[in-house]
Amino acid sequence: MINLLPLIRNECLKIIKKKRFYVILLILVVLVPMFTYAQMRISERSRDKFNSDWRLEIQQQITDNQNSLSSDRIPEEWKTYRRIFVQQLQYYLDHNVNPNEPSGVTFTREFLDNSVNLFIPLLIMAVASDLVSGERTTGTIKMLLTRPVRRWKVLLSKLVALLMFVSLIVLSVVIISYLISGLVFGYKGFNVPVFTGFQISGDTVDMSTVHAVPQWKYLLMQGGLIWFVSVVVALLAFMVSVLVRSTAASIVVMMAALIAGTILSNMASAWTTAKYLFMVNLGLTGYLAGTPAPIEGMTLTFSMAVLAVWGLISIIISFAVFTKRDILN
Amino acid sequence: MNDSKWTWRLVSLSSIATTILLLVGFIYAVSDILYPKGEAAVTSLPAETQTPAAASGGEYRIMALGDSLAKGTGDNTGNGFVKRTVDGLLQDGKARLVGNMGINGLTTAGLLEKLQEEGVRYAMRQANIILLSIGGNDLFGDSGILDTGGDGGAEIPEGASVPVLPGTAAGDTGTDLTEEEAPELTPESLLAGLPEAAGRLGEALQRIAEINPEAHIYYVGLYNPFGDVQELLVPGNQAVTAWNNAVMDLINTRGNMTLVPTFDLFGGHLDKYLSSDHFHPNGDGYQRISERIIQAVR
Repeated sequence: MINLLPLIRNECLKIIKKKRFYVILLILVVLVPMFTYAQMRISERSRDKFNSDWRLEIQQQITDNQNSLSSDRIPEEWKTYRRIFVQQLQYYLDHNVNPNEPSGVTFTREFLDNSVNLFIPLLIMAVASDLVSGERTTGTIKMLLTRPVRRWKVLLSKLVALLMFVSLIVLSVVIISYLISGLVFGYKGFNVPVFTGFQISGDTVDMSTVHAVPQWKYLLMQGGLIWFVSVVVALLAFMVSVLVRSTAASIVVMMAALIAGTILSNMASAWTTAKYLFMVNLGLTGYLAGTPAPIEGMTLTFSMAVLAVWGLISIIISFAVFTKRDILN
Repeated sequence: MNDSKWTWRLVSLSSIATTILLLVGFIYAVSDILYPKGEAAVTSLPAETQTPAAASGGEYRIMALGDSLAKGTGDNTGNGFVKRTVDGLLQDGKARLVGNMGINGLTTAGLLEKLQEEGVRYAMRQANIILLSIGGNDLFGDSGILDTGGDGGAEIPEGASVPVLPGTAAGDTGTDLTEEEAPELTPESLLAGLPEAAGRLGEALQRIAEINPEAHIYYVGLYNPFGDVQELLVPGNQAVTAWNNAVMDLINTRGNMTLVPTFDLFGGHLDKYLSSDHFHPNGDGYQRISERIIQAVR
């Protein structure tokens, strides 16, 4: 009877030795400066246009959005979205709080909001997709399974190691984007208030439950939600890597699913049953920021339940298949 | 081997700590979203209010308020008379656009509501020149032309997937409506709402003067967009003239307001200076308006 801990340790070391985690860090170190630079250009331009007065900028944003409401060519869903957006901007303006105060923390917050649907799941996949299929491609799976260890323990140790790295990936996204963007925007801004608690019903926003949260707390809450999303994505990618023989195929399957999710959430509001797909439910941080969900009827509880069900099913399938299947190649 | 021992310790401990931290954040976020407790917002947190240094004198700080004309609907460059005025005044020295709060279809009633908004009031306080264009929708609004006129392709929002070409769409509806509604536009119907609308305009001017007593207000007078339709020429002219006279009466009583006439700019040249929706000016039309404004400012 071999204890589980050495197995987990072994799997962790394998992930590190394969340098997957370093690749992820490298991707972040290369890409975050690009986003930072783009953001810097945006804020430079608005500084020129609005004489660094954010109130004028927000008011102009409100006016522009109101103008587009009167156009008949804009689909009704976009109008709903813009009405909600206008009401939130108005709330920030009325309470004299700049929603886009440039700082490293604000950048990180926005970066997280934008990357929860695709970018972070992609990073998770980089580790998760070859955990099992990689062993089969190289043939090392036979060595692993000939040892006197139950198969479910082998798989469980892989899963635990994966989940450990999921946490580390989420943390490194936050830290790297804060450190790099801070070089440009400054490292302050942890106590800047952010409003949360916008209750959206139809195209009006109920402001009665809106409250201010310091930005560091907001980041923590975002991190938690992203962690949940990442765990589910990791479980799914893990299942695919158990089912599919080659790593390349496993990555393609997950990529296709994720990209389909972003496309669907942009156009599927008419097809309401799409809300039971995991891909359109990845944007949990949107519930925090008060952005309307892509499909009507989606709430935080709903999205979390959908994600949890998908995650559970993929665990069950992974273990059922892995413990039963003949290892041939 | 010793190396991997330390790696393992580092990875395991940091990942456990991170997981706990993220789990706390997760629980906190879920409870915050599901059971939000509204509080009298920003009581404990310092609201950051860094106002830029008051702009130096001798600079034109321009702010526009009003309807689709202020917004620049019909101008293919999207500039409208506001941007063109700023560009023209730039030749004199410093000129800056504080903000353009023009909204398609705004009426005098809508303007009064706008003037309550803190953001609009703030922008007005930053300006020393306020360009105001309002009244057209009160006068012609019932004809339904302004509602469907939309933005004549001045900006194409994310609606790239919309199959209809913006310019043609706006143009077609515009022409159709002009012909359809033609018989209903009588001088009486056009003038029916005039006293109330003029009253609201007076109130709006009063409020603008209260919000920023330092600023000079330039009101852009109305022109008759229906001059090219035979049966509308006379009633339209009468209604527009009556409105412009009413506005003149309001503006004459104050020192810091000017009415910029545009009636003569368009009369007889409608085909040259109106955009394809037969209601809003085109780029050249806006250019002529802005030249008038610049002359009034200088």
